[in-house]
Amino acid sequence: MNMKKIILLMIFFAASLYPQNKEPDKILKDVINKFNKVKDYEVDLIIKVDVEFLKVPESSAKIFFKQPDKISLKSDGFAMLPRNGFDFSPNSLLKGDYTALYEKEEKIDGRVLTLIKVIPLGTSSDVILSTLWIDEGKKVIRKVESTTKMSGTFTIDLEYDDKLNFALPSQMIFSFNVDKMNFPSAMIGETDTRKKRSKMHGDTLTKGKVYVSYSDYKVNKGISDSVFEEENP
Amino acid sequence: MLTLIRIELYKIFKKWRTYIGFIAIGLLVPLIHIAMLVEGERTLNFMTQNIQQSFVFVGNLLNGYLVSHITLASLAVHIPFLITLVAGDLLAGEATSGTYRLLVTRPVTRTQIIISKFLAGIIYTNLLVLWLAVVSLGLGIILFGVGELIVISSETIIIFKQTDVLWRFTLGYGFASLGMSVVASLAFLFSSLVENAIGPIISTMAVIIVFLVISALNIEFFAGIKPYLFTNYIMSWRLFFDDPIDAAEVIKATGVLIGHIAVFFTSALIIFNRKDILT
Amino acid sequence: MTSEKIIEVKDLSKQFKEIKAVDNLNLNVYRGDVFGFLGPNGAGKSTTIRMLLSLIRPNQGTIKIFGKSLTEHRIDILKNIGAIVEKPDFYRNLSAFKNLEILGRISGKEISKKRIMEMLEIVGLEKRAQSKVKTYSHGMKQRLGIAQALLHDPELIILDEPTTGLDPQGMKEIRDLILKLSKDENKTIFLSSHILYEVELVANRMIIINKGMTKVEGYVQDLLKSNLLKVIFEVDDVNLSLEIIKETTWRSKLESSAEGKLIFNLDNEEVHLLNKILVENNIKVNAVIPTRSLEDYFLKITDEAA
Repeated sequence: MNMKKIILLMIFFAASLYPQNKEPDKILKDVINKFNKVKDYEVDLIIKVDVEFLKVPESSAKIFFKQPDKISLKSDGFAMLPRNGFDFSPNSLLKGDYTALYEKEEKIDGRVLTLIKVIPLGTSSDVILSTLWIDEGKKVIRKVESTTKMSGTFTIDLEYDDKLNFALPSQMIFSFNVDKMNFPSAMIGETDTRKKRSKMHGDTLTKGKVYVSYSDYKVNKGISDSVFEEENP
Repeated sequence: MLTLIRIELYKIFKKWRTYIGFIAIGLLVPLIHIAMLVEGERTLNFMTQNIQQSFVFVGNLLNGYLVSHITLASLAVHIPFLITLVAGDLLAGEATSGTYRLLVTRPVTRTQIIISKFLAGIIYTNLLVLWLAVVSLGLGIILFGVGELIVISSETIIIFKQTDVLWRFTLGYGFASLGMSVVASLAFLFSSLVENAIGPIISTMAVIIVFLVISALNIEFFAGIKPYLFTNYIMSWRLFFDDPIDAAEVIKATGVLIGHIAVFFTSALIIFNRKDILT
Repeated sequence: MTSEKIIEVKDLSKQFKEIKAVDNLNLNVYRGDVFGFLGPNGAGKSTTIRMLLSLIRPNQGTIKIFGKSLTEHRIDILKNIGAIVEKPDFYRNLSAFKNLEILGRISGKEISKKRIMEMLEIVGLEKRAQSKVKTYSHGMKQRLGIAQALLHDPELIILDEPTTGLDPQGMKEIRDLILKLSKDENKTIFLSSHILYEVELVANRMIIINKGMTKVEGYVQDLLKSNLLKVIFEVDDVNLSLEIIKETTWRSKLESSAEGKLIFNLDNEEVHLLNKILVENNIKVNAVIPTRSLEDYFLKITDEAA
């Protein structure tokens, strides 16, 4: 909590040095409105997980989404997605009350993107601070960087297919740093003396990336509520 | 030789004690499966609680493969005991029943007798492990279905694709068979020394338990001998549930286990060939 | 008499820790012999038999069977030996038939089911062929032991106390079988027994051992000549009997006389002759009782050693 206040103060202070010449709320509103042209969608995913302590095969799955906030992950086999990257809709990223601050413009990969800082208000959100890189031309979010209370900092990079007229990405790269996890081995009764200690290099932070490809979007075709009735983790 | 082996197998399977192992597995394994039916979800959640904080996942992780994997790991001490029940009786049993002199006065060499008994014991061992595999996997798949296999160690979480699991189990169970064959060989060696099957059974189990305890203790004094304890390598079937598989380690473990079998068998052979049959 | 040596034992010795169980034993058994192997308890008989069958390794000495060294030709030799060593033990949880079937399969010869049943018939167990051996009495196991010894039609049969646990009828059957095997089938039989009378009735050659050493070896007849049968004739008229033999050579064979009894030292043939003479002279002979002369001989020999 204290940390939030400090950050808030620092940003206000910084902001006071640089006059705001853009309206962050309007920019965000445009992004939300563009997204809201999607009432529902179904999309195929291919997920690749690249995390040091996690060896997971490439998996395929489907996501179903229905406005305002129904989302479901389904797969014939096994699939896993980062919790914070599961629902990338602007509504989800900009849930609840927040303060948005325009910071600057930045050129990334030949595109000029607008940096907006979003600070959720209240205590319910896990996110302390988010930075959004917004493509004002296309009215989409290209990158998100969030710092959370429980799960460290994560980054979402989004690519969009120009052919698709909706604000739905074709690629997502989710990057994160987490504390090395301790796994309970009680169920396994491990007694072997093989050690992979070489993997632990002293620091306990682990970098990880999850690559998601989205294809074959079916947008606004109508999805029944029953699809979302199964328990979502 | 084939005749002798068939005769030995016949004698083994005509004894009630042989069926203890099969019955025990037939009861224990379903018990574990029932426990997993009742508690499995909770167990799985407990196992994956940390990654569940950061990830959403779907899929049938509580499946027959997971339950089989847990079953195989948890029977590390029970299976050796069931093996010694039969292997310890292979030679000592003849002394107890007084049939050594019937057998050794036949026109067959003592070497042939020992080899046939040893091979019969190994066949029994492999059949028992095969039975474990069939009951464990079979029942597991019937009750829980198939899916990806999650293997959690202190260092990593590995999830194997459904199609990437069965061959690992085949090699894993094969390796477990090799490990249990070492146990059978040790019991066989002890059996050649005495005239009552109880001795070999208790001695073999004592050796295994002592070695397991030494392996588990983190005392510097034992650090030097740990790599030479065969019990370390008996659990090496786990190597097949790693990605990538440490081939060098597999080869080493295989070599150590086969080496132990060779030493135990050869010792029994020498002892039996020199033995005066007084019973 | 045949000169082919079936068993030739030279300077055989076996030591167990401090005990010398067999001490420079020598013996020879010829084809067709029924060879009596005698000695008191602890004499080394069982150890010797076990060495003949390669159950025990000798410390010293040589064993040749069928003219071949046992150590070098063990398999060939064992194909032609059938043996009972001490009390016969079998796989108790298997039937008699199954036991014989298993043993037959590793006997080095083709043994048919018919042959197995024949053997069981010979020893009187055909009705209990399918019963588990654990239900057998000691006597039945003894019979089964004989059946397994004969199963593969061996040339040499080694029998260690074959009639133990049998009733008199059973003992007689075994004796008759031994004689039949010897006379009709020219088998060589090595018979170890404590029942001296039996050995006397069937054996033609014998050895007495004690403390692992040979005491005496030879033909039974020859050995017994030096120790004639002591025979008691129970007669109704002792005086008349004495009158009849007074001027004859029978007088020198009379050891003593008592009320209703005359005691002579005779050999086997003489017993019949004297009996005939007394009867022809109207003497009523109520009984002719030979004493166990071989027992006397045995006790004498083994006593000497002590």
